[in-house]
Amino acid sequence: MAAEEPNIGKELRQMPAEPLLPVEKKLIGWSLGVGAVLLVILVWATEALFP
Amino acid sequence: MGRRIERINEDWLAVAIGLAVFALSLGAVVGLDLLGWAAAPKTWIDIDKAVQPAGASPLGGVLALILTYGFVLALMLLGAAALGANAVRFAVSFTIIYWLAYLCWVLGNFAYIAVTTPADMEKFGIGWSLRLTGESGYLIALILGLFIANGLPGFARWLSDAARPELFIKTAIVILGGTLGIKAAEQLGLASSVMFRGLAAIIEAYLIYWAVVYFVARKWFGFSREWAAPLASGISICGVSAAIATAAAIRARPMVAVMVSSLVVIFAMVELLILPFIAAAFLSHEPMVAAAWMGLAVKTDGAAVASGAITEALIYAEAAARGITYDRGWMVGTTTTVKIFIDIFIGVWAFILAYIWTRHIEPRQNGDGLRTTEIWERFPKFVLGFVATFLIVFVIALASEAYQKPLSAAMNEANVFRQIFFLLTFFAIGLMADLRKLWQEGIGRLAAVYVMCLFGFIVWVGLIISWIFFHGVQPPIASG
Repeated sequence: MAAEEPNIGKELRQMPAEPLLPVEKKLIGWSLGVGAVLLVILVWATEALFP
Repeated sequence: MGRRIERINEDWLAVAIGLAVFALSLGAVVGLDLLGWAAAPKTWIDIDKAVQPAGASPLGGVLALILTYGFVLALMLLGAAALGANAVRFAVSFTIIYWLAYLCWVLGNFAYIAVTTPADMEKFGIGWSLRLTGESGYLIALILGLFIANGLPGFARWLSDAARPELFIKTAIVILGGTLGIKAAEQLGLASSVMFRGLAAIIEAYLIYWAVVYFVARKWFGFSREWAAPLASGISICGVSAAIATAAAIRARPMVAVMVSSLVVIFAMVELLILPFIAAAFLSHEPMVAAAWMGLAVKTDGAAVASGAITEALIYAEAAARGITYDRGWMVGTTTTVKIFIDIFIGVWAFILAYIWTRHIEPRQNGDGLRTTEIWERFPKFVLGFVATFLIVFVIALASEAYQKPLSAAMNEANVFRQIFFLLTFFAIGLMADLRKLWQEGIGRLAAVYVMCLFGFIVWVGLIISWIFFHGVQPPIASG
């Protein structure tokens, strides 16, 4: 750890570009999509179970 | 510390310590008052009456105070031995931490700081008060810890062996399970509602938070996957443990998790100092929204539950001034419930990420595959202690109403130790928050994405989710 720390600044400055892979886009999209759908279902369930 | 061989992890240790306190407190149910001597500060104007035993103990305040310290020290020394720490050094460090924190607690209970109602002002013969409640002692402890960490760094490092905020808060949460168990038995409908709403809120938070923060870190700030994934988990889910679990799941270097964790600790302390006051100012009529918000927005178990405690104190004080006395513990219970659900899902989320990384991003070699046991390995074991104390009290109290009153008395005695571990958590959080790390080379860019996502997105989306699921839910009014 101690030996690694001084290089962090350099590493972060010179970080090579890594374009978003299709699988990352899919992860983000699915996560938000499922979140939106579940939001509707969970709000409905909450109102139904605990009016 | 890092090189020490730990024979037991802090989660299991928190379960052991919490269950020991819980078991002793249960003596009160069968007429054995084993913890009645536990000393806690009361609101005071005369310092001689500042500390008194919580139960019906013949011991005076000073003796009770010393006995309480000795008991907590003994528990922590057993824990230190289990962790392989140097017992003498730990005892000295812990003693200093304990007494400094306790002093802050006593100070926070000074009538001019703590009193909240006109009736109590009259009782203490004072004309004004800051109305911050006795819980202000927690904030004083946090600020003192912060001062030591940044003004006396050598001293802070010397104390660091015994400054273990995660151990302290996890122990407090195990003890808190019993208190919530009796409340749930008394208010079954409300407790079920809080649990369901809490679960719904964290499912939403996981799905929305992580994806957005990961996208921002990758697309806008240009972080590599190795940095972006732990950063997204640290900012969006549950701080240190999520960052470490994610870093391990995607096989990031340990340095990445350490750097992200440093930021998490610093900003959790900043959130703890700011968000409870914002919640108290704008959500005093929606206490449960405020409580859930603390659980969703403030990172790390310690800072989140601590924020819930401060928010409860501030909002309850404001309500008391309006003549409304809420039953204590419901807000901090809601924050804790939300946080525990978040903790439980860390293992599942880390498993999902590990699956995606091993199958699609960095396929592993044969024999280095993903094991489902990783979910259990990342499961926060202290939750088992919380569930155990909750269920034991809940089942007994539901089985017979006759046990509800003695159980309530027993949990009140255990609650003194829960408060002490809360207090130690606040002090330790301050002590671990080294603000100079923000100026460390390279951390600025990490800090920028952290600040932007946390204060520009997480905090407000957390508020919206809390509002959607907890709007209109009120804590019960205290009886008597």
